[in-house]
Amino acid sequence: MLCEECKVNEASYTLSVMVGEEVKTRHLCGDCMAKMNMNIASGNIKSLLSSILSAITGNDTPAEKAPEVVCPRCRTTLSQFTKTGHLGCPACYEAFHEQLQPMLLQIHGRVQHAGRKPLATEDAQRSRYRQEDLTRQMEQAIAVEDFETAAKIRDQLKALAEKEAEQ
Amino acid sequence: MSNPIVLSSRVRLARNYQDLPFDVANKSDAASMCVARTANALRLSGQDAGFQLLRLRDMEDVQRKALAEVHLISKDLLRNPYTAAVLLNEAAGVSIMMNEEDHLRIQAIARGMELQKAADECFRMDDALSRQVSFAYDEQLGYLTACPTNTGTGMRASLLLHLPMLTILKQMGSVGQIVAKVGLTIRGVYGEGSEALGNLYLVSNQVTLGRTEQELISAVTAVGHQLTDMEMALREKSLQNGRNALEDTIYRSWGIMQYARIMSQNEFFKHWSGVRLGAAMGMLPVKLATLDALLEQAQDANLQALTESAVTGRELDEKRAACIRAMLKE
Repeated sequence: MLCEECKVNEASYTLSVMVGEEVKTRHLCGDCMAKMNMNIASGNIKSLLSSILSAITGNDTPAEKAPEVVCPRCRTTLSQFTKTGHLGCPACYEAFHEQLQPMLLQIHGRVQHAGRKPLATEDAQRSRYRQEDLTRQMEQAIAVEDFETAAKIRDQLKALAEKEAEQ
Repeated sequence: MSNPIVLSSRVRLARNYQDLPFDVANKSDAASMCVARTANALRLSGQDAGFQLLRLRDMEDVQRKALAEVHLISKDLLRNPYTAAVLLNEAAGVSIMMNEEDHLRIQAIARGMELQKAADECFRMDDALSRQVSFAYDEQLGYLTACPTNTGTGMRASLLLHLPMLTILKQMGSVGQIVAKVGLTIRGVYGEGSEALGNLYLVSNQVTLGRTEQELISAVTAVGHQLTDMEMALREKSLQNGRNALEDTIYRSWGIMQYARIMSQNEFFKHWSGVRLGAAMGMLPVKLATLDALLEQAQDANLQALTESAVTGRELDEKRAACIRAMLKE
């Protein structure tokens, strides 16, 4: 999950605020959490209040300028995109999802793709055959109660799945 | 097949590699990778027969422009002369442009009203490549492209139309409205701004997301038929009322095209339009196919490439007039 403050780094802290009976949470990265702590230490109550307020409402206060959204992969900023009309890389679609959604709706009138899909690459196809093969072998091993072999095959399958997820 | 209104059909698909930034044209390492990967994927796919790899930086300026004049590459590709390249199968009318606005622009052109044929050719190349490489694709948004106006199918299907009567009778404004209503757009092909030299227009889909490729092709084809009917009706009507004026325009152009000794490109577009109108209406003894070939050959860069000399200005206009006379005599 991305930090909800800077929307660049991975969030590693969770800030919880009690609002009546309800607990509102906000996920922050190390940098933004440090800033928050500094604000507390330096007694910068205004900044602290605005952070807590945004945690409660889920929105930035209108007085504060919205933080720049940056694509974590290519570092293209939202303002660069707005200026040029061009995205930096495929990951920008996720980074600017919130802003892109209404824009795409305006351009195309719809936001759900209905057309062709890429075929599976030959590598992916080979990997799928291998997985099917291993799954069969594992089932056979379990059937004859050879759990040691089954466990080994399970590990191989896991490694294959991880490799695929990386790609 | 020659068509009285529709000169050609063109389909292009925008595709991008999952792992490269979109703007590779200005990043030479990524741009080279894009070219190498695509050329390799095409080779591995076994669909590479007839294709040659052309890097724009290795070509003469006139050769590059000549390809753009006949739409085998886009004008935008010329903007990146150092990094852009094309895998071209000229005989089949298929080109895979690299490092334009998107990593790949797979394009196919067919003569006449043949959008489906051009689309099938693109899909075949798309499938062949997608078995070898991973394109940026999202289940919700479809193919991811550098500009959100192409997201989804990444497809632009267009028809090149000759609409002289609709233009002369000032109907193009209302044509634009009809076309916009169904999510399409129409614009002049040659010339700057609102002028449409040769009365040639390109009608294409504006929307790319949320419709299937078939829906988009059907929409463009339907509008192509509608505009054909409108133009044909006006041609018929002009034969009944004001036949003399129409014939005068056509025969003047025919005379100039056959006998002129010096002709600028703008003048050529004007008279080419008159002659094609006359030929399509059966008034002139010249084949539409000859005129469509002439449209490509008599433009500046193609003429320069053909004559293999760096002629310009007055001398080029003389070459053009000679080329036109020769082709009309055939």
